[in-house]
Amino acid sequence: MSSNPEQRPNLYALTWRLPIIFWQLIFFVGPVLFMVAMSFFLVKNYRMTEAFEFVNWSRMLTRGFFWDSYWYTIGIATLSTVCAMCIAFPAAFALAFRASESTRRWAIFLLIIPFFTSYLVRTFSWFVILSESGVVNAMLGYVGLGPYTMLNTNFGTLVGYMTLTLPLVVILQTVTMANIDKNLIEAARNLGCSPLRTIWQVIIPLSKTGLIIAAIFCFILSFGDFVAPFYLGGSQEPTLPILILDTTKSGQQWPRAAVVAIMMMVTLFAIAFTGIALAYRKGKGAK
Amino acid sequence: MYRPTVTSSLFGLNRRQLLKAGGAAVLTTPFVSRAWAATTEINMLAWYGHGEPDVVAEYEEANNVKFVPKYYAGGDNMLALIAQSPPGTYDLILSDAEFVQQLNAAGYIEEMNAADYPLDDMLHEDFSQFPGHWADGKMYSMILRGGHLGVSYNKNSVTEEEAQSYACFWKPELEGKVGHFDWHLPTLGMMSLYDGNGAGLWDLNDDQWAKVQETTMSLRKQVGGFFDYGGTFNGLKNGEMQAMCGIGDWITGVLEKDGAPVASVIPKEGGIQFTESYSIGKGSEKADEAKKFIQYMMSPAGQVKSAQMAAYPGFCVTKAGRAALVEADMAEAKRSHQIDGDSQDPITLIKEGRIHYRDIPQQQTLEDWNDFWSEYKSA
Amino acid sequence: MKQSRSLNFILGIYVVLIFAFVFAPIIFSMIFSFNSQRFPTIPLGEFSTEWYAKVLADPDIWKAARNSLIVSCSTAVIATFLGFCTAYSDFRYNFRFKGPYLALILLPPTIPLIIMALAMLAWLAMLAWLSKIGMSGQLYSIIIAHSVLTAPFAMAVIRLRLNQMDPDLESAAWNLGGSEWQTMRHVIIPFCKPAIFSSLFLTAAVSFDEFAVSWFVSGLNSTLPVVVLEIVQGNIDPQVNAIGTFVFLTSMTLVVLAQLFFASRQIKGIQS
Repeated sequence: MSSNPEQRPNLYALTWRLPIIFWQLIFFVGPVLFMVAMSFFLVKNYRMTEAFEFVNWSRMLTRGFFWDSYWYTIGIATLSTVCAMCIAFPAAFALAFRASESTRRWAIFLLIIPFFTSYLVRTFSWFVILSESGVVNAMLGYVGLGPYTMLNTNFGTLVGYMTLTLPLVVILQTVTMANIDKNLIEAARNLGCSPLRTIWQVIIPLSKTGLIIAAIFCFILSFGDFVAPFYLGGSQEPTLPILILDTTKSGQQWPRAAVVAIMMMVTLFAIAFTGIALAYRKGKGAK
Repeated sequence: MYRPTVTSSLFGLNRRQLLKAGGAAVLTTPFVSRAWAATTEINMLAWYGHGEPDVVAEYEEANNVKFVPKYYAGGDNMLALIAQSPPGTYDLILSDAEFVQQLNAAGYIEEMNAADYPLDDMLHEDFSQFPGHWADGKMYSMILRGGHLGVSYNKNSVTEEEAQSYACFWKPELEGKVGHFDWHLPTLGMMSLYDGNGAGLWDLNDDQWAKVQETTMSLRKQVGGFFDYGGTFNGLKNGEMQAMCGIGDWITGVLEKDGAPVASVIPKEGGIQFTESYSIGKGSEKADEAKKFIQYMMSPAGQVKSAQMAAYPGFCVTKAGRAALVEADMAEAKRSHQIDGDSQDPITLIKEGRIHYRDIPQQQTLEDWNDFWSEYKSA
Repeated sequence: MKQSRSLNFILGIYVVLIFAFVFAPIIFSMIFSFNSQRFPTIPLGEFSTEWYAKVLADPDIWKAARNSLIVSCSTAVIATFLGFCTAYSDFRYNFRFKGPYLALILLPPTIPLIIMALAMLAWLAMLAWLSKIGMSGQLYSIIIAHSVLTAPFAMAVIRLRLNQMDPDLESAAWNLGGSEWQTMRHVIIPFCKPAIFSSLFLTAAVSFDEFAVSWFVSGLNSTLPVVVLEIVQGNIDPQVNAIGTFVFLTSMTLVVLAQLFFASRQIKGIQS
């Protein structure tokens, strides 16, 4: 990487450096800061008026249901991340180490397709597959297993989260592991490491950065998604995104919705920063 | 050394293919044939279904207009949409009756001339001076249709007798099979009626409000989920939910027509009425066109269309409309009990005092009710 | 590396199962789009194309599809441009505040869409109120919002490609007498072409299916996902399955084309 510490950037450098600064400041930083300001506004006669009051904060943060929802959301998003990472790993392992280059490329391209299809429509398909008179229960019925309630439970929510995150996690894990220097793995095997030990002590540490990034993305997506817990989980229990929407349904209460949104953002920043710090920390034995 | 040879033949092929495909696509869009006549576009803000072909196509053909609908989900959503657009964006606004006051207070709607509309042909005297539609002797909204909310149930689990009281929601067999429409207002209104508050269901003092909360909380273990429109339909149709709280014939009617064993009745404690009304957006440049359409919807032909709306049914509010419905579609008239003398005739129910118009809470704020709703969901 | 055949077989089955899980909803959606019943249940009704007829005859859906295309193409161009600028700046330069600079472009994905949607809506409404221009409810407000959301992906893709470039290539070009601008035009951009194309596709894809922000920010000019959401919130109709199938088949075609394009370029690259 040709990095010249510039004394003063010339026009050329500025042309490339400035656009993003302006664009993001106006259209990203602006809205976020405005939202923070909005959390202090008041709603009078169904119109939002500028103010600087803490009532929205005190009201929301003293509500039991807010904290119930908060911890539940963190919990289910963590569960979703663990599930996605574990479910994706064998597939990513197979694609990275056992598949040919072109198979791998086709697989990745195929996994990108769900991004092009409507997430909503896919969620609704699950209704028919998972309902008590649906496909899965019908098939289980043939084998004599009783109808299981899968919708409107945590299981339904998790299925929704998997629909959202699994393709991305598989892709990220595959790309990360495919980029590991194969010689290191060969060396480990030659030195007598069993396959499992190779995975645990060589492959995973080497792909640590990519794996943590995949986990962070998965957590963020699950944390902020409202479709899965609402449609497949029946809002049993409501997560923070559902709470945001609910709050906006009660008389234009955007400021209170902003409070919930800010709490979500702060939590996510904290988790993302911790994760990234872990990802890029030099662990022992990593090369 | 890397030479940036774009494989021009491959790229050229792609370009040609793309052009061919693109041209074909443009020619097959149904627009080209119809669009370039001078049709007037009318922007409509409404619940889903009001701008669909089954309701407006005939009018559009006859009057050379085109409705551009923007659908909202909930009164607050509607207000937000108006707030964020320049005045005059929406020519026609369909809203729930209890939101008309807010629309007017915020200056979103135009005054209407009462003489233009069939106010003397109403099926019930309340309709001509519906609460909230008038302010200072001026009319701001025209009532279009209504629907009743009560006990919605699956006939396989709940008998018609049991459904005569909200108490059936607490049946032990229904544990985990009672669904809620995800809006606090109708459900809490029903709980209030169940507690015996009758006509004062929205006007609760502290004790009554505490009692309503307690009653509602006791239902929690029966609840299988909280659903929006789509989820409600799916739940009832698939049988996951055997009873629903907070809805009425407007949902079960559609399912019934599709053959599902569901029904809605007004229980003895009383039911709630939702009412939909048309207003003209303030600053609209097509106010005359909007007025013409509202008059059409109030005419017998329009009232029939409204009653038969594919998205969700509602009952006619004019006598001429009802007569036209009975003539044009006896089956639907029978199904929705819109026949004079029928014991479940919506108008009869209103006259008997068993129906209460939906309204916002009087002594608590919407926030209070919504907070409790969130608490209920988290329980 | 010794490969156990039975393990490979199991892994193969596992991968197939994963793909089955990912594609099952899509396949079912396609099946239901041909189902005559309005509310799909098992067993299925008859084969029917009425939902497709309904979708194709609805000018609102065509308009929304057109809007979706306009939005995703515009977003792709803007996001790729922003991503390229940032990736190149990151690649070539070290400067103070580089950390915050990168954070500026990489932070948006960490904020859940629903929050971005809320913030965008409020902000654009306020800008509109200040400037008296109707900023929300227009397609360009969606384009702006989407470009903010997708620029990080563009940047990541292009940055990865730049990593593969020989760092001395640029200096070599300068030494041969090229200016910075000429080098950019004749060396860097051609080298990044595959990444630029990938980025265009990727950002277009993300923008195409995005519904949370679009729903909040769009007024009368809906995009296709917003139409789907409206239909689903006010109706229940296999129309959405028909729309979903169209989108799926279109994207399948695009992806296959991109894959063929990319594959042939790789071969050309090896040959030259």
